[in-house]
Amino acid sequence: MSTQAREVPAGAPLLAARGLVKSYGRTEALRGAALDLYAGEILAVSGASGSGKSTLLHCLSGIVRPDAGSVSYGREQLDRLPEERLSELRRTEFGVVFQFGQLIPELPVIDNVALPLLLAGVPRAEAHVRADAWLERFGVRGQRELRPGEMSGGQVQRAALARALVTDPRIVFADEPTGALDSLGGEQVMTALAHTARETHTAVVLITHDAQVAAYADREVRLHDGAVQESPMLPQAVSHDH
Amino acid sequence: MTTDVAARASTRPSVRTDTRLAWTLVTGSDRRERWRLALTAFGAALATGFCLGAAALAALTGHQVSVPYGNGLLDQPGTRQGVVVALLLLLAPVAGLLGQCARVGAVHRDRRLAALRLAGAGPRQVRRIAALESGLACLAGSVLALIAFGAMLATTGYPVPLAWAGFVALALAVPAAGAGVSVFALRHVVASPLGQVRRVTADHGPGFLVGLIVPVLLVVADSALLALRGTRDIAAAPLLVGAVVVVTGAGSVWVAGASSRLMGARLAGRATGPAVLIAAHRLRQDAWAAARTHAALLLVTVVGVAFVGIREVLLDELHRSQREGHMGMDISYYTFGIDLVGGAVLVALAISLFSLAVGTAESVATRRRSLAAQAASGVPYGVLARTLLLETALPLAPAFVLATLGGTAVHLAYASAVGAAVPVVMPLLVPPAVYAACLAATATSLPLLRRSVHPSELRAG
Amino acid sequence: MSTRHVLLGLLAGGPSHGYDLKRRYDDRFPQARPLAYAQVYTTLQRLVRDGLADVEGTESDGGPERTLYRSTAEGASELIRWAGEITPPAPFVTNEIFAKVVVSILVDDAVDPAAVLREQRAAHMARMRELTAVKTGPGVDLTTVLSADYALAHLDADLRWMNTTAARLSTLTAEVTAA
Repeated sequence: MSTQAREVPAGAPLLAARGLVKSYGRTEALRGAALDLYAGEILAVSGASGSGKSTLLHCLSGIVRPDAGSVSYGREQLDRLPEERLSELRRTEFGVVFQFGQLIPELPVIDNVALPLLLAGVPRAEAHVRADAWLERFGVRGQRELRPGEMSGGQVQRAALARALVTDPRIVFADEPTGALDSLGGEQVMTALAHTARETHTAVVLITHDAQVAAYADREVRLHDGAVQESPMLPQAVSHDH
Repeated sequence: MTTDVAARASTRPSVRTDTRLAWTLVTGSDRRERWRLALTAFGAALATGFCLGAAALAALTGHQVSVPYGNGLLDQPGTRQGVVVALLLLLAPVAGLLGQCARVGAVHRDRRLAALRLAGAGPRQVRRIAALESGLACLAGSVLALIAFGAMLATTGYPVPLAWAGFVALALAVPAAGAGVSVFALRHVVASPLGQVRRVTADHGPGFLVGLIVPVLLVVADSALLALRGTRDIAAAPLLVGAVVVVTGAGSVWVAGASSRLMGARLAGRATGPAVLIAAHRLRQDAWAAARTHAALLLVTVVGVAFVGIREVLLDELHRSQREGHMGMDISYYTFGIDLVGGAVLVALAISLFSLAVGTAESVATRRRSLAAQAASGVPYGVLARTLLLETALPLAPAFVLATLGGTAVHLAYASAVGAAVPVVMPLLVPPAVYAACLAATATSLPLLRRSVHPSELRAG
Repeated sequence: MSTRHVLLGLLAGGPSHGYDLKRRYDDRFPQARPLAYAQVYTTLQRLVRDGLADVEGTESDGGPERTLYRSTAEGASELIRWAGEITPPAPFVTNEIFAKVVVSILVDDAVDPAAVLREQRAAHMARMRELTAVKTGPGVDLTTVLSADYALAHLDADLRWMNTTAARLSTLTAEVTAA
């Protein structure tokens, strides 16, 4: 099942959202938002607070079902998938990084990073080997036995990145991943994310209100009042030559 | 870092993995989580103990078994049956305690489960992990209770060796039930990977409570009579008494909830002191939460008032019989039976008060950041402490009045049925005593409150 | 940036000739405008005239003859004074973007001020992506990263200003047209 979802015809978007509508009570968070995400690109979604950025990310990643509209991923339509399949996608093909709070305080970092693998039934020893490789890469291997509460904000976010990437996902969804960090910590996290995404050809949806963070992306869409504002610049051809 | 997708697809989530995760979560838990786990284990130990005691007595047959405990009361099958029922009834307050334990660290736990969902755990898997967590804690308590109970039986030379298999089965059934209950309790929580469970907070109050309480109370009433039937053939219709207890118990809970809301609304408008103002607003926000916490206490009060009244009448009767010299057995045989019921009511009261203390502490712990912020912005500790006490005291007062009326009705009915003098003073001492005990139980959270308002709590997540 | 002080600073390490100074300057400040050789030469002459530097001698490694310069004691103390002096925070910056927005309001329908801001924003973002690519490129040194960061932070400040301005364009339009 998961292999099918990974086959995307050349030139077609990896993830395509059309006409997304989502309301919370009387607040309309999304009003017909649409976007395409291509394999391997880093796409920044920016906009003011309350423009619907986070809701868009939740809909795109299948965390929240839109009231109307569709999100297609390969041959599957996320808005129609059963909860169990969505969970499976999250532990195999998607990774998520939030501003904070996605790591489990009870678990040491190594188990936190290995968590998606453990949930999928990978033996612990193997899961730890793979998690260690990612911790090493993001420079937090020395903290592997610490719990999230014992680390700095930047280290926690780098561990969160490691967890998002440990399953070799096709897409990483990052919602203000540097929002709780100072500028230097934020820069380290963003550099790690951008480098890794380019190297592993992982697509990234990057929600941010910070232009300096958005500048790490290949392309930017702006959200205004729950819809995507057309950019006056043509989207650049997606390339990863660097 | 390439992955073999086919190999990955073959590794499915398994119960073994989930157990390992649950174990890692339990061992990695912080101080507060450990507290919850310890309380859960304690509750499970109590439940197991009561069940084992009931089972051990129920397994005895015949009339002249000599049991070293219980003043001869346990030697007779009829009275033994009453004790068995009383033990089983004590499961009700224990269930309340376990329910309260589940609320300890609930915010924290919901967040953790949401994080698990975010990492790709399915809804069923999360429920399984949570169930395994509390199941493990319950198992620890049950095993301890089984060991202690076994040691006690071994010293008495328990005559039914076959019952041991049943005891072990019981000690395993309690954690299984605990796990089942936690799955049930989490049915709303695991829905969203964002942890923003948009739960309707307010009003499944009275209906739900009455539904829960009616059967419990009917059994309470019947068993109280049953336990006493060995001593005298009571003519009063047990169902009538049961109905009165049911109506007043459920009514008190409803009054507690409704008056919380009403009082909150009225006081919020005209409060002059800040403590009353804050307490009023909190009561108005979540009136039924208080009612649920207080349900068991109000029931205990109804039963307590009724019991003390009936006890007075019975003792009068007994002493009269003794004076007149037509009593079949030694008076201690009868008074022990009465005291046993009284003891059960006291145990129920103790467990309920403990639940109240746990609930209050949890409420403080959950709000510690906001409390610290209030203290930092200049609200004195004294105001916050009074607020905490008022939140318990305000809604309980009118509910206690009703509970007292109900309990009094029961023993008045009994007294007039047997044509005895109506006791007045003793039963009326019960509600103030319980009320004071409630405030004392609430006050046990004050040291925690003092720690919570320390500015360093502002940094706590 | 005060070119004379920076050159004086580069001379602090020891005598150097003009071409070498230009090369080191460009290395040290990669994101700054490259220094023209003629400017280096005139600046050095002024330093000598003011007594802050002196001619050390000439050297020729088989090529054309080059004048070696060195810092004087006076130059060293002037350098210390300058480095310790607080750079005045510049409150009145010439803001071309703001001028264009106001002008496009004044010319009425000919130019849309919102479009001016939008396009300027896109151009800023494109430049920021370039700079980010430069600083995250393989094997970059810290000097490059820091100078890119400086430019990024200033472009970001422009962007923020543009965002808040775009959100208040109608009020601005009313104010400008009423005057």
